[in-house]
Amino acid sequence: MYLKSLHLNRFRNYRDREVQFDAQKTIVVGNNAQGKSNLLEAVELLATLKSHRTSRDRDLVRDGDEIARVSATVKRSYGETDMAITLRKQGRRVVTRNSENLRRQMDFLGAINAVQFSSLDLDLVRGSPDTRRSWVDGLLIQLEPVYAYILQQYNNVLRQRNALLKKIRNLEENPPSRELTAQLALWDAQLAAHGSRVTRRRARVLERLAPIAQSWHQQISGETEVLEIKYAPNVARSQDDPEQVQQAFLEKIQQRRVAEQNLGTTVVGPHRDEVDLIINHTPARSYGSQGQQRTLVLALKLAELKLIEEVIGEPPLLLLDDVLAELDPNRQNQLLEAIQDRFQTIITTTHIHSFDDQWLQNSQILTVEAGEIHPFVPNI
Amino acid sequence: MIEQLQKLPGVGPKTAQRLALHILNRSEDEVQGIAQALIDAKKQVGFCQTCFHLSAQSTCEICRNRDRDSSTICVVSDSRDVIALEKTREYDGKYHVLGGVISPMDGIGPEQLHIQPLVRRASTPEVREVILAISPSVEGETTTLYLGQLLKPFTKVTRIAFGLPMGGDLEYADEVTLARALEGRRELD
Ligand SMILES: Nc1ncnc2c1ncn2[C@@H]1O[C@H](COP(=O)(O)OP(=O)(O)OP(=O)(O)O)[C@@H](O)[C@H]1O
Ligand SMILES: [Mg+2]
Repeated sequence: MYLKSLHLNRFRNYRDREVQFDAQKTIVVGNNAQGKSNLLEAVELLATLKSHRTSRDRDLVRDGDEIARVSATVKRSYGETDMAITLRKQGRRVVTRNSENLRRQMDFLGAINAVQFSSLDLDLVRGSPDTRRSWVDGLLIQLEPVYAYILQQYNNVLRQRNALLKKIRNLEENPPSRELTAQLALWDAQLAAHGSRVTRRRARVLERLAPIAQSWHQQISGETEVLEIKYAPNVARSQDDPEQVQQAFLEKIQQRRVAEQNLGTTVVGPHRDEVDLIINHTPARSYGSQGQQRTLVLALKLAELKLIEEVIGEPPLLLLDDVLAELDPNRQNQLLEAIQDRFQTIITTTHIHSFDDQWLQNSQILTVEAGEIHPFVPNI
Repeated sequence: MIEQLQKLPGVGPKTAQRLALHILNRSEDEVQGIAQALIDAKKQVGFCQTCFHLSAQSTCEICRNRDRDSSTICVVSDSRDVIALEKTREYDGKYHVLGGVISPMDGIGPEQLHIQPLVRRASTPEVREVILAISPSVEGETTTLYLGQLLKPFTKVTRIAFGLPMGGDLEYADEVTLARALEGRRELD
């Protein structure tokens, strides 16, 4: 796929800018706080309807404005598509595809696919389980857009069930009335039904991702290290059968019944999943140097690229936010070889010469200053 | 006035302004007429004592209509759903409006909905089928599950089985989809 143009209107610090992409690689140069990451964030938003920097639309609308609009034209093997998102300081967002308003956000997803790699991604190794869960979820949303809906439904069940558990706890009737117990049983069933959908999909995607990541990791680390990615679901499953997984949920809910009612919150379900990253039988977080952890993240990102390409049949976009300069020349080379000319890549950096010159060949170079974008003019 | 109008569903600042200008351009009599109609409707329209649909009388037109099949009851969450289903002209049974769906977050449990009167209606020998036509949101599904268990001992319970837009409200479903959904209902297990 190829992102032909991107139009940012009242988005973050952009007043009104349109960018035409005219090479497989685009390098965006600018000082700190000029709008480089904002530009990539707009592409991320088109690909996932989410930003990893904020969950509130009002942060995305330019200060002093009410409405922001991000639009793009993307070329796919089946033709060209115009995508647009309208964001409001207050109120709901509107998404359109070829100027047609879409009632379900799900129908917007899948037209643009992107893998983002920034220095924040080191959190995949060092951060809390939450970081890894959202990473897997973000990938799943791109591979099967219906997952966005599945996840939203699960979170809805979770909020409703937590409200009921809190009510039961606060009533301090022990044991709770028959009526409340019956109601809770309904939400148990919903948690099991929706939770098992989330769990099964996460297991499936990690199963496919793990061998690809492992082989990249071996290649980059020079075959000295072995990476394992292990899904550790909160509700363990012995086989991938919907009935069996739901049954496992109900059993675990039964076991944790007292704890849940005392805490007034749901402790069973995929919102407590973990993804273990293991290098040479040691948890990656306590293994090795920053450089080694960076190798791991690079392997994960390359695996994402390949998996998306495999599933959707077209190479997705690669967004490199400030990371290239952090990789040593050897890893820069590996990355360059891996993406070749197949993956359209947008690279941000503060200094044009902070990475190997071969990245500049055949690249489009742009500068960003205070939300304005211009072609790069080298100082002579 | 613009502020008041904006409180109406579907009315944003621009529409509110347009409505306000329109009203200001009418004669005082006309405006009086509109205002009176609003107040009259509010004073007169209450709920049908049988099915809880909006009604100016204690029994609504649908419940009073002897040509309609009173052996089937279609259960919906809202009066808007009755209006949507009526537009399809595919259904000639009776209705029951719950007045919402189970939602612990909003403090709505079964006690807050018109469920007891539904059980009473369903347990009369005259009623042979209850159709659950509640939107397939998480809360709607939970309500459907609850009603299924509750009503099964009394009568056959079916649900609208397919075709409803995911996560959408019944009122948005287009009429063809609704008509098809009514045909495709299946028994609850
Ligand atoms: N809603 C908004 N309205 C106006 N300006 C905003 C808004 N949100 C963020 N900004 C501004 O955007 C700038 C940050 O842009 P961005 O994160 O893209 O920087 P960057 O070019 O990636 O810098 P760095 O090199 O430090 O990563 C900041 O100056 C911030 O104040
Ligand atoms: Mg940045």
